[in-house]
Amino acid sequence: MKNLACVCLGVLFLAAVFSTASFAHHSFAAEFDADKPVTLSGVVTRVDWRNPHAFLYMDVTDEETGEVTNWAIELGSPNGLRRLGWHRTKVAPGDRLTVEGSLARVRPNLANARTAMLVETGERLGASSSQAANPRRE
Amino acid sequence: MKVLYSSLAFFLVSTMAWGQGLAGTIAGTVSIDGPVADATVVALHVDTGRVFTAVTDMDGFELTGLPAGIYEVDVPPLGWRTLQFSQPDVVVELNQTIVLRIQLVEGNLGVIGDDLAFVAVRNKYSDLEGELPRTADGKPDLTGVWQGDVDPDEAIPELLPWAARETDRRNANFRADSPEAACLPGPIPIWPTIYRFVQTPEIIVQLFEYQPGARQIFTDGRDHPDDLDPTWMGHSIGRWEGDTLVVETVGFNDRSWLWNGYPHTERLRVVERFTRLDLATMRIDVFVEDAGALAAPWELGLTWRLAPGEEVLEYICNDNNVYFENIGIQ
Repeated sequence: MKNLACVCLGVLFLAAVFSTASFAHHSFAAEFDADKPVTLSGVVTRVDWRNPHAFLYMDVTDEETGEVTNWAIELGSPNGLRRLGWHRTKVAPGDRLTVEGSLARVRPNLANARTAMLVETGERLGASSSQAANPRRE
Repeated sequence: MKVLYSSLAFFLVSTMAWGQGLAGTIAGTVSIDGPVADATVVALHVDTGRVFTAVTDMDGFELTGLPAGIYEVDVPPLGWRTLQFSQPDVVVELNQTIVLRIQLVEGNLGVIGDDLAFVAVRNKYSDLEGELPRTADGKPDLTGVWQGDVDPDEAIPELLPWAARETDRRNANFRADSPEAACLPGPIPIWPTIYRFVQTPEIIVQLFEYQPGARQIFTDGRDHPDDLDPTWMGHSIGRWEGDTLVVETVGFNDRSWLWNGYPHTERLRVVERFTRLDLATMRIDVFVEDAGALAAPWELGLTWRLAPGEEVLEYICNDNNVYFENIGIQ
C-alpha cells in the first residue's frame, strides 16, 4: 500500500468556554471570565500553598502612573502543581513573575493563571516537561 | 503505535477480504502543551455511522483500514477534564493518509495544575506492562496506586423530568451551589484523582485525593445492614465473580451530586465491576441506578492506569476554600 499524499490539517478545535464537561470541585467559569484575558507582571509578595487552590500574590506596578497594586493569582491544587514539578519553594517573595490568565468576575485584583513564567530565568512553571523551556503553542 | 480496533466486527472481515489497497488512514498526534498518551481518538464515518477508535501512545495514533468518505474525528474529554475536541469534514480517500495534529484545550480555563498534571502522570506510566498479579488465594490483586479517568464514551443518562430541570438549573448556575464547592464529598464512583487500593481478604480500602479521603469495601461476605443511616459514601460490599470484583453500594443520602451535576435520591444504587486486566490496567464498568431520579440505569466505562511511582497526597479541601468569597456569595 502506498501513501500517495499526506494532507496535514492545521490545528482546529472547538473550544467552549463552559462545556457540559464536568469538573471535580468547582467551576472556574463561575469565578473567572475567559473573555477577559489578562497578562500581569510583577514581584511576588506572598506564596499561599494550600488546598484546594494555591495562591500567589504579587505587586504589579502600573507603567504609566507608577501605582502599585497587589494582585492575587489563583492556581490549581498544590498536589497537581507538584506533579508538574512546581513545588512550594519554587517561587519565593521577591521573584519576578509574569502570568497569563483570566480576570475574576467579582473580586477585584484577582486572576487565575494559565501560564506562569519566572522572569529571571525564562522558565515556564507548571508546563508539561517538554514545554517548560519553550514558548507555549500559539 | 497502537492499532485501531473497530466497534463493528464485520468491517474488519470485509477489509481483510478487500485487501489493504482499498482503504484510507487517519494518523497523527494528540497534544496539550506536549504529547498525550492514552487519549482516545474516535472517527465517525458520517455516511454509515460506523465508528473507529484508536488510543494514542507518546508517538501518536493511527486509524487504518478506513472506508473512504467524510469523517468526524473526536477526542473525548479526559482527566479533569479537557474540552471535547471535534473536527468535522475530515475527508478520507483510499490509499491516502490524512494527518491530524490535534490540540486539546484544557478545561476549567486551563488553570495550572489540573489537566497538564493529569497528562504528566498518564504519560509517565503509559508504557508500563506486565502480568496480572494475584493474591495467595488466587484472586486478582487490585492493590496499587492508580490514576483514574473519565469515560471517553460517556452516555447521557435518561433523567426524570425533575432531575433534568434540576440539572439545567445547576449548570446555569455554574454548579456554584454544589456540595463539593463547599468541600463536602463527591459521588461514587470517585472522581478521577490518584487512588490507592489496599486489598485484604476481608476489606478493600480505597484511598483517594479528594474528600472524604477513603472508603471501605467489605469483602468478608457480609450483606448490607437493614438499618443503614443514609451517608455520603453509602455502604459498599464486594464479592468476586471469577476475576471481577463486583462492588455494590447502597445507603446513600441525597446530598451528593453525581458526575456532571446530575441529582440523585436515597434510592441510589451503584454497582462497580472492577476487572484488573493486567499489571497496568483496571477496567471498571459502572451501573448507576436510581428510580427516584433516573428513568433508566446509567452506565459508565472507566479505565484506570497503574501509577506506581505516585502517592495519594493529602487534600484538605477546607484549608483555604475562598470560592464563595471570590464569587461574591459570603
